Amino acid sequence: MRRSATATFLAVALLATGCSRADGGAPGTSTLTVFAASSLTGAFTQIGKDFEAANPGTHVAFSFGPSDGLAQQIESEGTADVFASASGTWMDDVATKVGVTDRADFAKNRLVIITPPSDPANVRSLADLARPGVQVVLAAAGVPVGDYARQVLTNAGIAKQVLSNVVSNEQDDAALVAKITSGEADAALVYSSDVTSAVSTDVKAIPIPDPVNVIATYPIAVVHGTSQPDVAQAFVAYVTGPAAQATLASFGFLPPG
Amino acid sequence: MGAAFVALPLVGLLARAPWSRAAAILSSDSSRTAFRLSLEVSGLAAALDLTLGLPLAWVLARKAFPGRTFVRGLVVLPLVMPPVVAGVALLAALGRRGLVGAWLDRAFGLQLTFTTGAAVLATALVSFPLVVLAAEAGLRSIDARLEQAASFLGASRWYLMRRVTLPLLGPQIAAGAALAWARALGEFGATLMFAGNLRGRTQTLPLAVFELSQTDPRGATVLALALVAVSLAVIVALRRRLLTP
Repeated sequence: MRRSATATFLAVALLATGCSRADGGAPGTSTLTVFAASSLTGAFTQIGKDFEAANPGTHVAFSFGPSDGLAQQIESEGTADVFASASGTWMDDVATKVGVTDRADFAKNRLVIITPPSDPANVRSLADLARPGVQVVLAAAGVPVGDYARQVLTNAGIAKQVLSNVVSNEQDDAALVAKITSGEADAALVYSSDVTSAVSTDVKAIPIPDPVNVIATYPIAVVHGTSQPDVAQAFVAYVTGPAAQATLASFGFLPPG
Repeated sequence: MGAAFVALPLVGLLARAPWSRAAAILSSDSSRTAFRLSLEVSGLAAALDLTLGLPLAWVLARKAFPGRTFVRGLVVLPLVMPPVVAGVALLAALGRRGLVGAWLDRAFGLQLTFTTGAAVLATALVSFPLVVLAAEAGLRSIDARLEQAASFLGASRWYLMRRVTLPLLGPQIAAGAALAWARALGEFGATLMFAGNLRGRTQTLPLAVFELSQTDPRGATVLALALVAVSLAVIVALRRRLLTP
């Protein structure tokens, strides 16, 4: 009795996870699961729609999150067909532990300073972040945008002073933007692609000079073990193609070359 | 099977934890700081819950007033509301630009966000219902004739409260406070949202688990298990009250 109940439970659980992976329902449709860095949310949502329109019967499901968290999920659960990371480091990690194919760099991104429009702490340049009392929020170490921010501060020689001004280590760039649009913190270091049209009136962006800035390279790849390698490869090719590149540019990304 | 459902994730944690590094991880500066801060924050949160919750429970249990059902529903809300929503709500109310927060900032130059006080408020809010519900249930179960008898014999209201009601209620209050404390200890979403994440100031144990998982996922399981152990200790301490009918 007990054993059969357990078996039923496991069967149901396997069916449920099977459904979420292959999905489908109607014949002739397939769902491609794409894990993408949260900084890609706007651009990839658009690219996904365009890809579906160009490939009838294909559905793209996105899971956006911090690249490190997504990499860990892929490594422990293997539920992604395609992975788009905000840093080579986490793609390397997945490549080593799970395996990837068709890897290509598809975009670059640079960091900017954002402040609330009223700029309560009077931040005009990177150096102003080092002034005592400025409330700075960064992404936590280990999150790509957080590591890049620390690199920029080190390049500028003000890491120690700015890090002592940090009031919170947030989980990703979306959380940083939220802390600035709500006016809780004085300044944050985020990707230039985070200053989307949706938030451009709620934040002020201040450029960081190229010599100290960090340029982040975004790799995309098909994850080993995908049930639909053809669609996955087609999606990777589409992202590196002209249509998707134009979309990425409109969301503030730089070309990969 | 139900027991297996609860046990399985724990077994997973146990299997993944890198035991050889456990001592080093638990004794690291960041872990110790987070432990200390967690005890401080959850302790203060439970105290705040008791201070605000006991009078409210008494009113809810003993006074009939219009809108009592509404107030009771409101009190339970933090229990079912996603903690992140509680965090957003706290920001909207007490943040630097919030309804009350903007005024606090202007009038007193007081900013709550990113402070230990904010962590206490966030954890106190989500654990508040546990104290009120336990105390109210306790008050309802007290034989009203005992209080009437004391009152008839000339006990003042304060004396009655101190010598009759509270001693009868003691175990219920203790159980409610312990549950609220344990809930406060595990709080994550509302704290991250309202108080942020900074070592030594707002980085409680669950936030330390989150931050460690960014750089050392396996190491984070050790810290996670430490939290489980504390929760387990609370259950064991309360087992007579909670687990026997």
